[in-house]
Amino acid sequence: MQYLDTGWISVFVTLLLAGFVLFNISRAKGEKSLFIRRIPGLNALDDAIGRATEMGRPVIMVPGLGGLSAVSVQALNVFGHVTRKAAQFSTPIRLCCADAAVYTVAQEIIKDVYQSQGMLDRYDANSVQFVSDRQFAFAAGVSGMILREKAAATFLLGEFFAESLIFAETANSVGAIQVAGSTTQTQTPFFIAACDYVLIGDEFYAASAYLRREPVLVGSLVGQDWGKALVIFIVLIGALLGSFERTQPADLVRVRKDGGAAAMEPISQHEDRAKRTSKKLVDETTMFRLFNPMVSEEMLDIKRDKKPNEEAAAGGGE
Amino acid sequence: MNFLLPLAQAEPPAFSQPHNSPQLWTAIIITFLVSFAVLIALLFAPTKARRPVIWTGTFLSGAFYVLLFLWPKPINRADDDLPRNAVEGVSFWISDFQPTFAASTNVIAAFLLGLGIYSVLRVHITRLLKRQKDWVFSVVLLTAMVTMVVFGYIDYVQREFHDKEGKLVEMVNWGPANYGFDLLFDGLLQQMDAAMFSMIAFFILSAAFRAFRVRSVEATVLMGSALIMILSLMGAIDVPWSNMVDGITGKDPSHFLNNMKISEVKGWFQSTLQVPSLRALEFGVGLGALAMGLRIWLGLEKGGVS
Repeated sequence: MQYLDTGWISVFVTLLLAGFVLFNISRAKGEKSLFIRRIPGLNALDDAIGRATEMGRPVIMVPGLGGLSAVSVQALNVFGHVTRKAAQFSTPIRLCCADAAVYTVAQEIIKDVYQSQGMLDRYDANSVQFVSDRQFAFAAGVSGMILREKAAATFLLGEFFAESLIFAETANSVGAIQVAGSTTQTQTPFFIAACDYVLIGDEFYAASAYLRREPVLVGSLVGQDWGKALVIFIVLIGALLGSFERTQPADLVRVRKDGGAAAMEPISQHEDRAKRTSKKLVDETTMFRLFNPMVSEEMLDIKRDKKPNEEAAAGGGE
Repeated sequence: MNFLLPLAQAEPPAFSQPHNSPQLWTAIIITFLVSFAVLIALLFAPTKARRPVIWTGTFLSGAFYVLLFLWPKPINRADDDLPRNAVEGVSFWISDFQPTFAASTNVIAAFLLGLGIYSVLRVHITRLLKRQKDWVFSVVLLTAMVTMVVFGYIDYVQREFHDKEGKLVEMVNWGPANYGFDLLFDGLLQQMDAAMFSMIAFFILSAAFRAFRVRSVEATVLMGSALIMILSLMGAIDVPWSNMVDGITGKDPSHFLNNMKISEVKGWFQSTLQVPSLRALEFGVGLGALAMGLRIWLGLEKGGVS
């Protein structure tokens, strides 16, 4: 019996997911009214800015500790929207960065927002600050700013770690309305416990589509939903198939070899395993094998020509 | 494919030069000047002219990593191996070039760190000169920054270049700069970091107090599950409870009541509710990151500027 080895399937699924996104972006370009469900955290943005305007206190935005990545770019997109609203009402803003690259991009985005609104005179170069790239120095600096300036609203969006609760609780102590969202799953519970509104999971990535309703962004969101449907389908099929296969007797068992290789051998050759269980183990099920290709000893046994030895050619060595 | 073999085995362009060689220094100086010129040009270029340059750079960088992901990887490769065919030739080149390519990010980050320091100096020197509110804290920050840089640099130079025998490992051989750096880094900075970190315990308490107030069905479920998690970590509760269950079941492992042990309930919560929920969130976040990455790579993401 030939062992099923399909190392290409992970690449295929990734390309399929990317294809869903690109197809829906092109599809959405002609559409005007694609539905996006209500996200309370994003509806609260305008209320929070309005509150800050009424109180005459600043809005503080923090894109987290992460470097310049998809997460921080997404956070800066939302901050661009917040700044646009704040600029219209002359509400002061503070954007605190922990990464120099994020700081540079943030500065450009905020300045461009003021420029696009025709309010460049209201732009304060010190409103975007690099505080520190050290976690707790950054936490201390931003917390100090929240306390001293008595922020009316804080937006904590990005990659957060242990400092998340320090920000959230400090802002809560000055009565700031808080909108938070993190892709770091360990911090989301802290935000849920301490903040008024939280963007959970992929709501964070849906934010710019929700706020701007541009066809490219909305189409991308629909593509993500198609991807989710595919993942749900694979999970369901995998669960059913896996549950069924785990009850079946194993003819071949997966045996690990030296150097990361593995082989499928008849169970009759492995008495210990047969005594333990005659049913298939997880790594012998079809679904596991589909996404975890097996490297056989033959695949590792490759003969290649060697580069010419430069020292020997030059007459070196002892 | 054999006719492509000489091409596959051709030496790719050298991305590194011998240590301290004139070629290396020439390459460093030329790269520095070119990078500096490009940065200055980008700084003064209008936004519309900047965008295609940045998009081209982003696309080429992204294309390299897409190729790295999609191209078949060499199996069991030794350093002195020659590729067997054109496909392996490309895969060898990609894997050789990747560390150099990734390191170029560090060079760009180094340029940007200068801008970060400039931001800190501008904010705090302005506050100091204009005697704005809390200007004293700015003095403390600037003094601390300069002192740390000076002591850190002297300590680094001494350890890296003037201590070939490793004498500075022993404290008795330290000079004033080493003591100063130790005091600043281990004696102050690390301790203040730890102090900030420890404050989280109190913040957790106050946040939990608010979150666990039973005001809705969700909050009640949250409090109930949290209570089980807490009790399962308290031996004084968990052990007598488990003993009581064992007493009823007579330590029969197949008895249904074994599921009522706190540690079992906790395990069920974690493996059946918590882990699948987190995985579902991770799938969503992963798909979001993929879509965002595609939009940035292909120049479809206009960002906050639009």
